Amino acid sequence: MRLATRKLLDVSSSSLGFISIGIMGVALLVILVPIFSRGAQAFVFKGTIEHRRLLLERFERGDAAAFAEEYEAVRAARQPVYDTIATFGAAQQQTLDKMIAVLTRLSKRNDSIARLVKRRLRRISDDEPFLDNVDTVSKVLERLEGHVDSAEIAGDLALLHSGVDAMAPQVAALEELKDAVANLLGPAPGTVQPALPRRQYGATRWDRAEVRLQDLLYETLWDYSGDGMGHRVLKPRVEQFRDTPMEPLFDYVEHHAEAMLQPRWTCYWGFLFDKPLDIHIFGGILPELLGTIYLTIGAILFAVPVGIITAIYFSEYARPGRIVSFLRTCVSTLAGVPSIVFGMFGLAFFLNACHMPKGVLAGALTLSLLILPTIIRASEEAIRAVPRTYREAALSLGAGRWHTIVTVIVPAALPGILTGTVISMGRAAGETAPIIFTAAASVAAVLSFNPLQVWNQPTASLSWNIYNLCTEHEAANEIRHVQFGMVAVLVTVVLVLNLFAILLRARIARKLKG
Amino acid sequence: MNMRLKRLIMAALVATGLCTSVAVAGEVDTLVLDGSTTVGPIAKAFAEYYMAKHPGVNVTVNESGSGNGAKSLINSGCSIANMSRFMKDNEFAAAVEKGVMPVAHVVAMDGLPFLVHPSNPVKGLTVQQVRAIFSGAISNWKEVGGPDREIVVVSRDTNSGTYETFHGLVMTHDVDGEKVKEKIKDGAEYVGSNGGIRARVQSTPAAIGYAGLGFVDKTVKALEVNGVYPSGQTVTSGLYPVSRPLFMFTNGYPKLGSHIHAFVTLHLSEQGQEIVEDIGFVPVTHY
Repeated sequence: MRLATRKLLDVSSSSLGFISIGIMGVALLVILVPIFSRGAQAFVFKGTIEHRRLLLERFERGDAAAFAEEYEAVRAARQPVYDTIATFGAAQQQTLDKMIAVLTRLSKRNDSIARLVKRRLRRISDDEPFLDNVDTVSKVLERLEGHVDSAEIAGDLALLHSGVDAMAPQVAALEELKDAVANLLGPAPGTVQPALPRRQYGATRWDRAEVRLQDLLYETLWDYSGDGMGHRVLKPRVEQFRDTPMEPLFDYVEHHAEAMLQPRWTCYWGFLFDKPLDIHIFGGILPELLGTIYLTIGAILFAVPVGIITAIYFSEYARPGRIVSFLRTCVSTLAGVPSIVFGMFGLAFFLNACHMPKGVLAGALTLSLLILPTIIRASEEAIRAVPRTYREAALSLGAGRWHTIVTVIVPAALPGILTGTVISMGRAAGETAPIIFTAAASVAAVLSFNPLQVWNQPTASLSWNIYNLCTEHEAANEIRHVQFGMVAVLVTVVLVLNLFAILLRARIARKLKG
Repeated sequence: MNMRLKRLIMAALVATGLCTSVAVAGEVDTLVLDGSTTVGPIAKAFAEYYMAKHPGVNVTVNESGSGNGAKSLINSGCSIANMSRFMKDNEFAAAVEKGVMPVAHVVAMDGLPFLVHPSNPVKGLTVQQVRAIFSGAISNWKEVGGPDREIVVVSRDTNSGTYETFHGLVMTHDVDGEKVKEKIKDGAEYVGSNGGIRARVQSTPAAIGYAGLGFVDKTVKALEVNGVYPSGQTVTSGLYPVSRPLFMFTNGYPKLGSHIHAFVTLHLSEQGQEIVEDIGFVPVTHY
């Protein structure tokens, strides 16, 4: 009976172990698979002709001749769209001109109607947006209809009325449609180049293009007829243009979208090495990557020498006693302090007390404080693990204490020290809170490759900018691929560093043995 | 073994050498901007535009809230403080005490649209209703003509200029000739950025929040206030009741010809205005 109980306990404890390992594995998969699968979309995606135009114009990459040829075909495919819109616009302009002619005639009369018309007619000009001109006409009409003598000019009024009725609903719809077309295909030929790059190019990615195509074909409305919350209704835009020359346009766009955008599978390594364009709507993440590297290496440069020296003191020199155990407790406590506290300390000490500029140096120093406890603890453990016989042998050969430490103990402890260091590098690369106040910026130029020029420059960094792009970016929904891409890069950096630590440790341990 | 150690020591030496040499390294022209998350999109777009025009200048933008922008300018931590509200008396006093003379540059106008989920049938509210909702007097959408749902109130954090504007223009009102400040109700959520407000409203059908005009997109619905929809026209004409200017503060008027001067006057150029308008804010001048 007792044996049976023991066996049962044994089995249940081992199965508990397996279950928890399984849960951990699943959790890892649940976290990592979306990160990498969606992050990969930043690198590999169906790029449209607009993407290739962007690369060529902004980054001077790609085959200009082949592009020109392809673009010619694309332009031919797009031309019917612009032609249809232009024809329709011209027809509308004609209607407006007719109405203006009527108004001009009215303004030549010699009564109060003429005065009323004349004053408003001045506001209509070709420089004003079309929409405003139509608006002015309909306002004049409203006034005229309320006028005492309106019966006199009934014929003219009817003419104006039919014109306004025919145009009014379509004028706004046409403007919206033009915007949707520009969103999908880029600015129409012959329009002024917009200032913001996001308006200079159409959809560069096919997945975004599909969303924008949907926007072009369907208007999103909300139906509030029910009692509770409204629900979304997609209304085909074509209904606004029924029985007009515009009607076939929608069918054409729907079926020729691929011809107009030429989506093609693209591998965009520039995501790592390009500078961002228009706040990450286009381009890559070079400033973030470089900033993270500078901050991490900086932190390691400060933390490792100090950490190893402290560890040597603790394990080799310090006499066991109250002060040492107090110091050790301090180090342990420091390891458990939340990172934002280090950030606040960095702000208060390095920036406000030492008057350092916000930049890489202040950020690296703050990060180095954060990882210092880890490095001290790892190094101390490693040094303690060096067998006592090593020390004795070295001392017996006549080596002094310092000589023993430098030539025997630290080299023997190196695998442990390096592991701690590399793992702390991963930590430093991923930390956000310590650099918010000391180094991070939402937008910054690509740091120079010369380390001497960067110390006082605020920098973008992967960790902070992921947060910033997800929460603060005005077009956060448009750039999901960039956010996931950055996350994937950061996780990869940390994983690679940890893998490197494992390999390094194994290699040095093997060497020391052999 | 000895070789490796020597290398290690060399590395340590190089590290210390670096620390000392950085102090005397060459200079890059750097403009540091800090402050409002509402002015952020304008500042970021300007920064990219400016850096493209002037290679060799590093313009860095940080979005930590108007209050932090002011503190940063006072501590000489930044050269331009983006603020979505005017500086307060005590900030001015602190600045002057430290020899910093804040000068305001109005870069754009902004309305403060109230955002709800697009599925919310409520089309508009009055200022009184908004005040009642945020102070907790109205807690269900059905009291303002909506469905029977508890209202989720989302506000900006108290460090933000947007919060100050909201507090000053909506929560403060005259009662018998006296200014009374209503408190935001206890259950309200506080969010640290404009984008955060939008994200919260996007995902919460019964929420109401407020953000800068540039953050209105198709995923949220801006409400009419007193029957006026927030738009470029209604904001410039003053029809929309909750409007405000957006500022960039500098220490003194920047030296003519300097990068700072060029940057804080960028919004007056045609391109600058187009950028402001394209992002969704209202340019100060109209052509």
